[in-house]
Order: sequence, then C-alpha cells, then structure tokens
Amino acid sequence: MNARSWSGGCQCGAVRFRAHSLGHAGFCHCRMCQKAFGSPGAALISVPVGDLEWTRGTPAEFRSSPIVARGFCERCGTPLYMLEDDYPVYDMAMGAFDAAADLPPPDHVVGVESKLPWFDYLHALPARTTAQDRAPEDLVRLRSLQHPDHDTEDSYPEGSDDGE
Amino acid sequence: MTPRRITGGCQCGAVRYRVDGALTFAHICHCRMCQKASGNYFMALANVQKSEFVVTRGEIAWFRSSEPVRRGFCRDCGTPLIFETMAMKHLNVTLGSLDDPVAVRPELQFGLEARMPWFSALDHLPGAATDDDPDGDGVRIAEVRATNRQHPDHDTETWP
Repeated sequence: MNARSWSGGCQCGAVRFRAHSLGHAGFCHCRMCQKAFGSPGAALISVPVGDLEWTRGTPAEFRSSPIVARGFCERCGTPLYMLEDDYPVYDMAMGAFDAAADLPPPDHVVGVESKLPWFDYLHALPARTTAQDRAPEDLVRLRSLQHPDHDTEDSYPEGSDDGE
Repeated sequence: MTPRRITGGCQCGAVRYRVDGALTFAHICHCRMCQKASGNYFMALANVQKSEFVVTRGEIAWFRSSEPVRRGFCRDCGTPLIFETMAMKHLNVTLGSLDDPVAVRPELQFGLEARMPWFSALDHLPGAATDDDPDGDGVRIAEVRATNRQHPDHDTETWP
C-alpha cells in the first residue's frame, strides 16, 4: 500500500491539486514548451488523469494545437500541465509541486531539435543565493504573497493581484 | 548592419511586445518564487529598460507576487512574460517568450539555494527530438506541426 500523495498549485494559490501517483519525469526543449513556459524548456512529470485531484479552483486551458490542451492559472499565469486528447495522462509542471525538490528527477529529455545552444552551460555559470543578492528586509517583503508550499484551509486570498 | 529587432510574446499571441533597446544581464533564477511562478525549475530572464519596452498587441495581466514585485503573464494562455520590481527603471522579460531565444545567452545564476541538486545532470540525459516520437507513429506530431495555434516567432498583422 502506498498512500503517499504530492500536493501543488500555482503561485497565487487559486488553483491547487494533489497527485496520487507519479510517473516518469522529463525535460522538454521543444519550441512549444519554451513559449508556453516562457523558458528554455519545461520540466514535466506524468500523472494519470484518474490520479490527479483538483483540490481548489479550476485551471484555465489554452488549446495549443487541436489535440493538446495546456492548463494554467488565469489569476497568476502559472503553467500547470499539458494534456493530449485521448491520452489520459497529464504532463504536470514540476515546479508547481509544493515539494518540487522531492520529485523524481527527470530521466530523459525530449524536443532536442529546439534545445538552445547555451543550455548545457547554464549549470556552470557563476551563481549566487537569493540571500547573497538581496538585503534581509527585502527578503521579507519579497516572500509575502506567494501561496505557501502546502495546502491551506483558507480560500484564495482576494485582492492580492495587482489591478494595474 | 541593422540588428534584428527584438520581439516576443505569449504562446497564443494575444500579447506581443517589442524591445527598442538592448537586452542585458541575461540570467537564470532558481529561487522558489520563480519556480512556482513558472511551474518550472528555474526562470530565464533578461533586463530591459521600461522606457524601451513596448506592448504591441493585447494587454499583460499581472500577479503581485510580493509587495515590491509583480509578474506579468498572458490571461488567455498563461505564458509567463515579465518579472518587474515596480520601483526599478528596468523590468525582466522571460527569455523563452522571445521570438529568437537563441540570441540571448544567460551569464549568471541566482536563487542558488533552491537549485535542483540534479540540475547539471540535465545536460547528460538521454534525449530525443520531437520527430523521433518514441511513443507513437509520428502522425500526431505531424498534425500538431501543421495545425498548432502557437503564434509564429515573428510579429503578424492579424492573429489568429
């Protein structure tokens, strides 16, 4: 018996989910994942649709092609999944999980035709922690409005997005 | 020689932008806030002077992720577009939203405290091109290529 489950959600907390099983993790370099995530690529982990419970809110979807839906939070924009029609397995956005660092690491990469030529150099770049880069009083202010990395009783806090 | 104009936008094309100056200070950030905002393990960003950043189509939606910071995205497709410390004269655009992301190579890493321990291993994983389609017969990939609704990697007069 394995009762382990993995919670997660978007940055603002309007959409929350719980995965009751995890499949393989991978990293996709394809141009569609790049643009959908605004990133050099996307870390994704498979979760059967029947094992993914939406515990708060409902993700919005953009159909990036006639057979693929991409889910996101329309309050804060966090990309949450990719789902192909007739293939009942979510590719969930790994960074959206609360315990993202505890997920199985990616074991394969795909979409390498679009891999950015500098991708392999990223890990070797000069690196600093957030605390080295920000004053302590800044760190307190910078952390204030992201949903915590665990489920919460309260509903989505109204008024935390900027109307500008 | 005229440099290529720097343009970008979200996946669906509802939001398009142009940068009239230079992109500087390209970096990736592993911090937990950038991870969760992007549903990913890091964000890739570069600086743009606010006076040189022009939204050419649509409107950016905002989430105020902390008191001094707001994050811009497309309300119609979710693509993360902007990280902005509101008191600063520059903002950050996401490198993946650029039409030509190859051209801007990150120089620094931040948020090291949250970097995945296996981050450097990504370079060495076994890989496949999208066309290799290890799980199918290639029909779906051809269909996606021919019919996808992702905005092309250049400005368009009208879309969709």
